[in-house]
Amino acid sequence: MATETGSKVEAYARALVLIVQTEGHADEVEDELFRFARAVEGNDDLRMALSDQSLPAERRMAIVEDILGAKALYTSTAIASFLVGAGRGRELPAIITRFVEMIAETREHVVAEVRSAISLDDQQRERLAVALSTATGKQVEVRVVIDESVMGGILATIGETVIDGTIRHRLEKFKELL
Amino acid sequence: MRVRTWLAGAGVVAVVLFGVAAPAFAQEDEEAPEPVTTSEEPESTSAEGEHEFSSKEAEHCAELLEEGGKIDDCQQSPNPIVPAVNEMIWGTLAFLVLLIPMWKWGVPAVKNMMALREERIRTDLERAEEARTEGEAALEQYRAQIGDARSEAGRIIDEGRQSADEVRRELIARAEADAAEIRERAAQDVTLATERAMAELRSRVGELSIELAEKIVERNLDRDTQMALVESYINQVGAR
Repeated sequence: MATETGSKVEAYARALVLIVQTEGHADEVEDELFRFARAVEGNDDLRMALSDQSLPAERRMAIVEDILGAKALYTSTAIASFLVGAGRGRELPAIITRFVEMIAETREHVVAEVRSAISLDDQQRERLAVALSTATGKQVEVRVVIDESVMGGILATIGETVIDGTIRHRLEKFKELL
Repeated sequence: MRVRTWLAGAGVVAVVLFGVAAPAFAQEDEEAPEPVTTSEEPESTSAEGEHEFSSKEAEHCAELLEEGGKIDDCQQSPNPIVPAVNEMIWGTLAFLVLLIPMWKWGVPAVKNMMALREERIRTDLERAEEARTEGEAALEQYRAQIGDARSEAGRIIDEGRQSADEVRRELIARAEADAAEIRERAAQDVTLATERAMAELRSRVGELSIELAEKIVERNLDRDTQMALVESYINQVGAR
């Protein structure tokens, strides 16, 4: 079952890569979908609503369009709506994560999921990508997720490697010391 | 043997009946002595002038009177103690008649009976002796058994006492061990509870400290501080 799900995730991700490469604006679509996937992943009610098969597909797709409609590119909204309409709302975060990794692999890069309490400007993203590339020895592409639970600082996850410099992490270490 | 005894008894009875009656009968046949006549009249005399007496006693009495005796001498009664000769003869014969069958059959029967009785008595005595011996042996055996039983009972009582002592010692040891284990467990429980309470207390203090720190940090984390934290992170990661 897990293998079957994994193969479906792989297939959907590969299809999304082809669609994005065909439609263009790959970086923006990739970034929007990545942030949408993290939002779904961090919101139980939203994830359950998008995964609920008892709801009509049109209703689930309308939810996606309400969230992304005016904020994202049409391609990003169409892809997310398609996945939810096809009944893959539960696997949506995994599909998009794998899609982002595949896009990065086409450029021989790895994806770093960066969580920050504030948004980063382009310069900070580039410097962070360089710093992470230096730290890991790989070409790193940064995908930033706004997460206020980190309170401050940055949490970067590159595959199995985690570099945690958040206030939350420091407070938990302080709690362990107590 | 019993038949012969009865026959002997019957013979004795017959001899007594008929043998004793015979002398009496013979005495009746015997002519009774004529009473001594005391009349003054002389006895009848024979034709030649001599008196004829009816009996010798009468003649003897006449001679006593002629010799100057008295009439009382003629009338002496027989000795009441000494029996008459004929009675002695007949009595002797009757005694012999009785003695012979008695000697021939009665005495052996009596001897036989006595022997049987003696044998029976001896047998009874022997049996009584055997019974007494057996009784004494049984008594000795019973006494020995009682002695054995008493010694066995004493041994059982000693064993029971020893077992009770062992059980008591085991129970005491077990109770002491249980008590020690309970004390140790209670001490461990107290230690664990204390450690758990301390851990909970530390955790609670930590949580409260974290909550307090979070509030302080959130209050002090303005945009510049956030940017400073990001810059610090980038610089530290890049310096690795």
